[in-house]
Amino acid sequence: MENAIETVNLTKYFDKFLAVDHINFEVRKGEIFGFLGPNGAGKTTTIRMLTSLTKPSEGTAKIFGYDIQTQTIAAKRHVGIVPEISNIYDDLSAWDNLMFTGELYQVSKSEREKRARELLEMFRLYDRRNEKAKGFSKGMKRRLTISMGLINTPQLLFLDEPTSGLDVQSVLIIKEIVSQLNQKGVTIFLTTHDIEEANVSCDRVAIINKGKIAAIDTPERLKKTIQSVQSVEVAFDKTSPKILSELEKIQSVNEVCKQGDKFKLYTNDPANVLSGLWEYANANDLKPISLSTLGPSLEEVFVKLTEIDVKTKEAS
Amino acid sequence: MSRRIGQLKTDLSAAWAIAKKDMRIYYIKPGTLMFGVLFPLFMFLSFAVGKNAPAATLIPGLISITILFSSSSIGPMVIPTERKVKTFERLVSAPISFYSIIMGKTLGGFLFSLAISVIPLFIGLLWFGTQIISFIALIAGLSLAAYCFATLGIMFASFPTENAGDIMMLLNFVRLPLIFISGLYIPIESLPQWGQVAAAFSPLTYANDLVRYALEGTTLYGPAVDAAVLLLFTGVFLFIGMRLDKKFRK
Repeated sequence: MENAIETVNLTKYFDKFLAVDHINFEVRKGEIFGFLGPNGAGKTTTIRMLTSLTKPSEGTAKIFGYDIQTQTIAAKRHVGIVPEISNIYDDLSAWDNLMFTGELYQVSKSEREKRARELLEMFRLYDRRNEKAKGFSKGMKRRLTISMGLINTPQLLFLDEPTSGLDVQSVLIIKEIVSQLNQKGVTIFLTTHDIEEANVSCDRVAIINKGKIAAIDTPERLKKTIQSVQSVEVAFDKTSPKILSELEKIQSVNEVCKQGDKFKLYTNDPANVLSGLWEYANANDLKPISLSTLGPSLEEVFVKLTEIDVKTKEAS
Repeated sequence: MSRRIGQLKTDLSAAWAIAKKDMRIYYIKPGTLMFGVLFPLFMFLSFAVGKNAPAATLIPGLISITILFSSSSIGPMVIPTERKVKTFERLVSAPISFYSIIMGKTLGGFLFSLAISVIPLFIGLLWFGTQIISFIALIAGLSLAAYCFATLGIMFASFPTENAGDIMMLLNFVRLPLIFISGLYIPIESLPQWGQVAAAFSPLTYANDLVRYALEGTTLYGPAVDAAVLLLFTGVFLFIGMRLDKKFRK
């Protein structure tokens, strides 16, 4: 068994609305798999099907070889779930939240006490273990939710927007622990709106749009599919409103965006743009104070893929 | 076979964990305890005061109504609230059967109701000369009624709403009429024909009849029938609750 997750034509209708459209993908054991998509694309519905919170309308999926519909409980035993909303019990202490979750997952008393201590220390909550969770900050609640998802030492962890809207300290702690877990062999299924986070941490990503898988590959391979979206980024020692329109006239420049004090020139031919940019700077007495050439980012791949899909549908 | 026994043990232990958690978070709170005692008491007094019956004869009715409200009120508030804050999903996504979740939720109401129903019983024993005729029938009456009404509440909570008010409205639409047709204030024999037929379809009738037998020695249907019908109602409420959840969770 090489795969942690295998889906076959996984489909979900809500009445007549097709939320997830016959998707097929595999998540290999031990990898961090990013599941990206715009709002309403079908990410959460897919996770809800994989974690048996909702039943597929068609198709099926396997978690470590266990069918999610016919071997539901066996499939759930291998999984830890961290939903988008921190669903902790506010009236219980951090410690009691972990003890209760451990009991639900049949973790023995001695093991869950040992594990709870480890997790609370790891997530820097141990000193506040006896306080009711209702007094915790958003970041602390998130860390506690992830601890609860790990109490049963799962082989596969579903993380739905783990760092969305959190303070820097919590984000750094969570990222560090996710990386450590993965190094220990835990498979991570990560849903995020933070494309850069997916780019940096994921072995492979799938982009879902309107219920269909638009692309699935490693971040670097995905970027190579759209080499047309290379760019040159430049900042000058002085600026004026007319620079933007003038930069658009440089040969081989497809589009120019102003980003803070920098201009980003999109092109298929960065070398030609650099030469034109040099001539423009000399002619207008401008000194570049920073200059870099950039390949396409994963975010640009994401935007391009989701836009392509929108246009195709509109055309049809 | 051993796998089934293993799963049953797992489900029972998960149900107990859920019940313990619910007791700590929702039941053992001053407000809930006061509600459990005072609401049925005032509800009962509002109809019983002014009647010429000796106070001791009203105690079985007071116990029955206390069990009805204390066992079936908190669960239907808790489940929609947990749906709203998504903690119910924590239970559904755990490696336990849905039956164990229902059992855990029911167990909380059952234990709370048993503890609360002892209060009117002691009031009767200490101040109104109530006597226990059959201890076994009393234990059976309290337990079966508490479990039956706890499942009634959970059955209603299976409707997929996040608003507890929706459930309570539906539940009271059923619970309040039961009070009048179940022999609590008017003996069933004195009800008109249609009333006697309606009483036969109320679980409160059998709970009250069993408690009355335990404390007064009088019964309309007999303790065995009362116990059997309460068990039957419990099974039906559980079955419907599970079916509703299955239907709505699609």
